[in-house]
Amino acid sequence: MADHTSGSNEKAKAVVEAFPKKLNRQALLSFASCVHCGMCNDSCHYYLATGDPKMTPAYKADQVRKLFKYHVDWLGRLAPAWVGGKTFTDDAQLEELKDVVFGTCTMCRRCTISCPFGVDHALMMRMTRGMLSAQGVAPEGVKVVSNDQWQTGNQMGVSQEDYLETLAWLQDELRNEVGDPKAEIPIDKAGVNIVFVVNPREIKYAPMSLLAAAKIFYAAGEDWTMPSVGWDNTNFGLFSGDDKLGAHMGNLAYDQAIKLGVKKMVVSECGHGFRATKWEAPNWAGRDLPFPIESFLETMVEYVNTGRIMLDPSANRKPVTYHDPCNLGRSAGITEEPRFLLKRACMDYREMTPNRQENYCCTGGGGAMSMSEYSSRRLQVAKVKADQIKATGAACVATACHNCVDGLTDLIKHYKINIPVKNVCEYVADALVLRRAAHVTEEMPAELRGRSVLVIDDDPDVVTYLTTLLQDHGLKTFTARNAAEGIKVARRERPDMITLDISMPGRSGIEVFTWLRSEPEMTGIPVCIVTGAIDFRQLMYHRNVPPPDGYIEKPVKADLLLMTVRRILEIKLHKASPVGVS
Amino acid sequence: MPTLELNGHSYQVDEDGFLEDPSIWNEEVAKDFATTEGVSELTEEHWKMINYLRNYYLQFGIAPMIRKLCKETGFPLNKVYELFPSGPAKGACKLAGLPKPTGCV
Repeated sequence: MADHTSGSNEKAKAVVEAFPKKLNRQALLSFASCVHCGMCNDSCHYYLATGDPKMTPAYKADQVRKLFKYHVDWLGRLAPAWVGGKTFTDDAQLEELKDVVFGTCTMCRRCTISCPFGVDHALMMRMTRGMLSAQGVAPEGVKVVSNDQWQTGNQMGVSQEDYLETLAWLQDELRNEVGDPKAEIPIDKAGVNIVFVVNPREIKYAPMSLLAAAKIFYAAGEDWTMPSVGWDNTNFGLFSGDDKLGAHMGNLAYDQAIKLGVKKMVVSECGHGFRATKWEAPNWAGRDLPFPIESFLETMVEYVNTGRIMLDPSANRKPVTYHDPCNLGRSAGITEEPRFLLKRACMDYREMTPNRQENYCCTGGGGAMSMSEYSSRRLQVAKVKADQIKATGAACVATACHNCVDGLTDLIKHYKINIPVKNVCEYVADALVLRRAAHVTEEMPAELRGRSVLVIDDDPDVVTYLTTLLQDHGLKTFTARNAAEGIKVARRERPDMITLDISMPGRSGIEVFTWLRSEPEMTGIPVCIVTGAIDFRQLMYHRNVPPPDGYIEKPVKADLLLMTVRRILEIKLHKASPVGVS
Repeated sequence: MPTLELNGHSYQVDEDGFLEDPSIWNEEVAKDFATTEGVSELTEEHWKMINYLRNYYLQFGIAPMIRKLCKETGFPLNKVYELFPSGPAKGACKLAGLPKPTGCV
């Protein structure tokens, strides 16, 4: 491997000695069972973008596997050359190994799902990173961040004073935003339902997601708190392979949660932070926790399902796509929650392909964003991801990981795609209907009274419910029970707006919608879709006509319907802006 | 070490395009780097932020918290992103000649 020598071999010796002690069952399986079948090649974005055989997962793993063959494998111990066994004799070899395990793998585990034997390359990479880190052979960025986590308890070296001052400032921002001087971001409140742990990026540079979370907690009337210490959900132990650091970061968060006596811990949208805090660190720390841990995505879904928050998707009108973070999609099984939320918080959700557990890495995983020395390679192999994003046709990206936000933002800039990336909770917060605002809509303004709404729905109960509600608030209504009748009434009455069901016997609402959008004398009439099948909306966005003006899910909530109708009519009356253009 | 050619000047930068030697910074650097961070013209408001970042870095050796940046410059949070589309950590710090912030950013 090494074509030059360093003249020293102490570190190499230490790595060789540490290797057998690191082997657990999963590692043994991964080292022993690869047959070099090549199934994993096309799963790796490093290989896909470069076509370089040295970038295939099996080749990269072989750079460590040779140690296994030499020191552990029974045949290799007798005749190492026969099975490709080799050991390290010079420290310079470790530098080369460092470039492989830190610089050509983001530990995204996409190759693992394509392996017929379940060889876990990320596990081997992490184990090797751990052996190298223990000898001080690691990228400078990883060392700095690990050191900050040891010294200050968070990866960006934020002081306690700065942390608390930032939260106080965000509390002021929250109060301004929701218009309630009593809205708060509590600190160390004991006995609450939720303790919320965050990524230091949210504290130091990009607090929009934390502000969004606070707004969502406020709207849901949650009893929650931020911890004064142990607030960093990230864990560089996962990336450096240092189990002790992994345990330390877990313990900081767990101890404070226990001290506060909270009912559960909620982890903000950070992929590796969630995986480390929920699945890995309890093992590294060797402890059972007296409280459950969940992702903020799960918390938000519960709020929607139980009616604690209400969302108006017309706040996010641009087409949005979702990037599955590796540590959430592949390693923690969280794939449906973000889609559930985005489909309710945004008008036009577009799937990225491949997706869920087969999605490509943001290319910044495994701590890659902190390793500047590999940035140009990272951006080179990001072409795979860039093409995938471009193909969605989306105008903005949502993801549930801060590292992915930065990784994607970087490659989007590099490949000049020019669209923003935000966390899921930011889209949700923008779509929040705050109760106070909803109550205002109960009083329909005089100028809107007497305006007409055509309700098209095949369900007589829904028709009665909607028309009663609208009439009670001073609006005039027309009704139609199927597509053909809907078209007839629309043509005859020219209503000020239409609410439209999608699934109806005979011609569907989608056909009515397409007709409304293409008939010159109908294009001025705004349309609000009212449907029980939220996934059907995709069918409408593939039709090359302006999207609907509102989108409401059944069962219809009165507040949301009135607010949406009022907003649509107000826009039509005052702005006279072209329908459907955001 | 990569070299970045901007407006006829050449700069030694790290792989992320941050100035390798923060001490060679001057106002020309900020003007040249502005083009790579989506800032078409450096206004007085841009300079206010750049100068604050610069002075903070010279005093403490690190980038300031966004909280401090907003407090000391008087800019609201969204203004920071309006001025520097690529954000405070990657955009503004780069123009002010700070090294790349540490951590997963």
